[in-house]
Amino acid sequence: MNPERLLSLTNRWFSTSVGLTLVIFLSSAICGFLLLPYADADSRFSGIWDAICNAAGFPVKSSATDIIQPEFKISGATLGLAELTSPSPQSIGRGATLAQQCAICHGPEGVSRADAPNLAGQYAQVIYKQLHDFRSGARTNATMGPFAAHMNDRDMIDLAAYYAYLPRIPSSRDSAEVPLIVASGAPTRGIAPCGSCHGTIERKIGSPWLNGQPAAYIEAQLRYFASGARRNDTNQQMRNIARALTDDEIKAVASYYAGTQ
Amino acid sequence: MTSEDHAASAVVAQKIERRWAAISILIVVFLTAMAAVAGIHQATMPQARVEIIDPEKIHLSGEFVETNLGSAIEPDGSVTVRAVGQQYSFTPQCILVPVDTKVTFRATSADVVHGLLIQQTNVNTMLVPGYVSEQVARFSRVGDHLMPCQEFCSVGHEGMWAMVKVIDRNEFMSLAASKRRVSCVE
Amino acid sequence: MLNSRRLVLAHFWMAFGGFGLALLLGAWQMFIRSPLAGWIGNPEWYYRSVTAHGTIMGYVFPTLIAMGFGYAITETSLKAPIAGVRWAWAGIALILIGSIMAMIPVSAGLASVLYTFYPPMIGNPFYYIGVVLVVVGSWIWVALMSINLIRWKRANSGKPVPLAMYANVAGSYLWGWTAVGAALELILQIIPVAVGLRSTIDAGLARIFFSWTLHAIVYFWLIPTYIAYYTIVPRAIGGKLYSDSMARISFVLFLVVAMPIGIHHTFADPMVGAGFKFVHSVFTAIVALPTLLTVFTICASVEIASRLRGGRGPFGWLVALPWNNPTMLAVTFSFIMLGFGGAGGLINMSYQLDASIHNTQWITGHFHLIFGGAIVIMYFVIAYDLWPHLTGRNLANLSLMRLQLWLWFIGMIVTTFPWHYVGILGMPRRMAYYDYTHPAIADQALPVILSATGGLILVVSAALFFVILIRGHLSEKADPGEYRFSVAVHPPQRVPVALNSHGLWVGLMIALTATNYGFPILQLAVRSDTSVPAVYVGVK
Repeated sequence: MNPERLLSLTNRWFSTSVGLTLVIFLSSAICGFLLLPYADADSRFSGIWDAICNAAGFPVKSSATDIIQPEFKISGATLGLAELTSPSPQSIGRGATLAQQCAICHGPEGVSRADAPNLAGQYAQVIYKQLHDFRSGARTNATMGPFAAHMNDRDMIDLAAYYAYLPRIPSSRDSAEVPLIVASGAPTRGIAPCGSCHGTIERKIGSPWLNGQPAAYIEAQLRYFASGARRNDTNQQMRNIARALTDDEIKAVASYYAGTQ
Repeated sequence: MTSEDHAASAVVAQKIERRWAAISILIVVFLTAMAAVAGIHQATMPQARVEIIDPEKIHLSGEFVETNLGSAIEPDGSVTVRAVGQQYSFTPQCILVPVDTKVTFRATSADVVHGLLIQQTNVNTMLVPGYVSEQVARFSRVGDHLMPCQEFCSVGHEGMWAMVKVIDRNEFMSLAASKRRVSCVE
Repeated sequence: MLNSRRLVLAHFWMAFGGFGLALLLGAWQMFIRSPLAGWIGNPEWYYRSVTAHGTIMGYVFPTLIAMGFGYAITETSLKAPIAGVRWAWAGIALILIGSIMAMIPVSAGLASVLYTFYPPMIGNPFYYIGVVLVVVGSWIWVALMSINLIRWKRANSGKPVPLAMYANVAGSYLWGWTAVGAALELILQIIPVAVGLRSTIDAGLARIFFSWTLHAIVYFWLIPTYIAYYTIVPRAIGGKLYSDSMARISFVLFLVVAMPIGIHHTFADPMVGAGFKFVHSVFTAIVALPTLLTVFTICASVEIASRLRGGRGPFGWLVALPWNNPTMLAVTFSFIMLGFGGAGGLINMSYQLDASIHNTQWITGHFHLIFGGAIVIMYFVIAYDLWPHLTGRNLANLSLMRLQLWLWFIGMIVTTFPWHYVGILGMPRRMAYYDYTHPAIADQALPVILSATGGLILVVSAALFFVILIRGHLSEKADPGEYRFSVAVHPPQRVPVALNSHGLWVGLMIALTATNYGFPILQLAVRSDTSVPAVYVGVK
């Protein structure tokens, strides 16, 4: 019926459109893969194939020299372990036995009567990370260091599972008065709302649940972060915040989370 | 209108139309050529390489360990700034750079996609976990700039702002002489 | 003839219903982040709202408009009932189910990842599965459009396919193919992680897949508007279409070059090579071509209408245009917004200029001006034009329509111009609030307030729009006559087979996708060392 064949070089629509597309693609490719990489003075390509491969985006491993290594221990705890998110009953049971030695400071049910942190209902990853860091020396504490030194990974996982399993102490605070620094942070000072990592709005793996922690403990840790005395927060994520907090804000945050406000 | 008139007017219409199509094509060619020429003469090309890196290990070793972050002077007199973006801050929180100097920003993300934008400048790049972003800049004036994260990185994104201070070159050099990595974090 | 009225009406009402909801969310978001409101106590509410706004406005609303309009075009231009009406209902049902499935976790705050997904952030799997269902539902429409056209062609061998149908099917093919990018991202990458089968994901590769969809989707949104320009406007204002073949060329150009340009969204990204960025930049420039051709053809068609009404002189004909006609008003507004938006777009596509505004409020301003402005205002016109045929009743209150269109135009300008301005000042997008007391951003407070006012105007305009449509259902019955499309000044007797079929252009579209996307995708897809741990959101 239709004498005009579409996919044939004699059809000028076909030949023109395919030809033009080819010309445009090839000329832009020559320009993008050869001319422009060579024109870029910063690119330091070793040859034509190097230029083409890089312009095509063939990945290379980042390699830098003259790196200043830290003189202190950096936290190397891995938080993605499946046992931390779904612990076995055996793990929790073993953790309960191990936890007896922690009860003096952290309370028999994980609720401290001193100013040690309450561990009941704390995220398993948090307890595991801190124990790991106490053992490696990424976090230093005269009391916790020796305890952690004798633990193996299994012990830490079991303790974490046990404390995560315990019920949290109910909050005693009136929810009405949330300090601005807690609810909204201070954006241009680089402070996000506390709850965006610490579990009330959203949880960032490795950040502790703060409600009900002793005010003295929170305040001390914020000051350690600000001064750099504590630096087991990966990539300075908490030091960045603590340094930007004012003295009053540190006190407000501590008493808010302790529920004493 | 007779059919002859009709045919004649169709020819005229087609002529005008073709002329306009030609103009349109010229506009497009001009725009493309402008981009290419600007790319060659002002060397404002996107980063030249795709570099990959393991975001789970950047804090342990390699160029993004925390003690290696901040501004470093290179042998050729230029400055390299290394930074990490994470939920919800940049490290270092305050970046110090000299004026009128070639500055190479190298940055990556520790967790999700972030963006790095220095206000009032053309420094603007994405930080994608697993990849290293690089951008070259030159600051022509002394002054302070805000550096917000420009890509949604989950709740807390609105609190992810850092600072960039552009200072006098000599001042910067004397600071850098005593410390090998400088920043304005107190 | 319009047989499937209920089907078309269902699409339009579902589309506009979603649009109304999402618009309210948008206006609320603008208010919340402006200095007029105090800081929101929980920023997550804001991001939740942005996710819902983007998902509805980006995936559901325009898709349903294109589908509903597509069904109407099929019946009115081919003069035959749609083949496969049951499938069409199945398609819209899937979209409804998908939308609800997606919106439940979003409302619960379990998927505040924004409509752009942004892995390695991972939300509730039902959000993603819902979006996939929406896409699958729309693919049914793509298939139906194709089947109906083939069926007509078989019965009408050698005859020119009516322009509206030709363009409509081009739009459906464009969507069918461009949605594949996001579908691959969701099915191969995100959903396996969201349901827990995997725990790592290549965030860079995901961004490349998404760019495959994200740019061409804009042209899919645009197609109904362009169809309205070519096939409704000249008839509605009493003129003729200047050129039928130029219209076809514009649509096939969209089909070919809308696709292989998406990497211009990732100019500032580290995972695409500079060479591919340049190639995409070149093709992005070419996509301006069909728009430039359209501007000419439509302006010429409008001039014809004026000359037929006695307009004279090189510019005097502008006076003689039927300014009382809402369609005339809307197409003018649409062109103005398209002009400003297009000029902004030229800045975005050049990677030197892009650096100064990338991911700032400029971008938000840009796509709201193009989509919310130039495109959506023509969706209103499409509804106004079709309504009497769908309801069999009059839509008589022209002055209310004019007021609605004026308000939409003013609202859009007032909303988006300040956004462009603060974008140049470096204001980042998508933040729940800003500290306007900081001296460095204090001067952004006023434009932001202005822009929030624009949002309010848009809400008023949308409310009027609903009033007009609902009154259209209640007014007295009237026979609107047969639905007609514009006639060309020189109606084609015969059309070259290339412009009467889509095969060549679909082939070029797929070929260019392979050349422009193949390597960037494959080289990352085969590696495992570029995958990073997922970051689950909505977890407490």
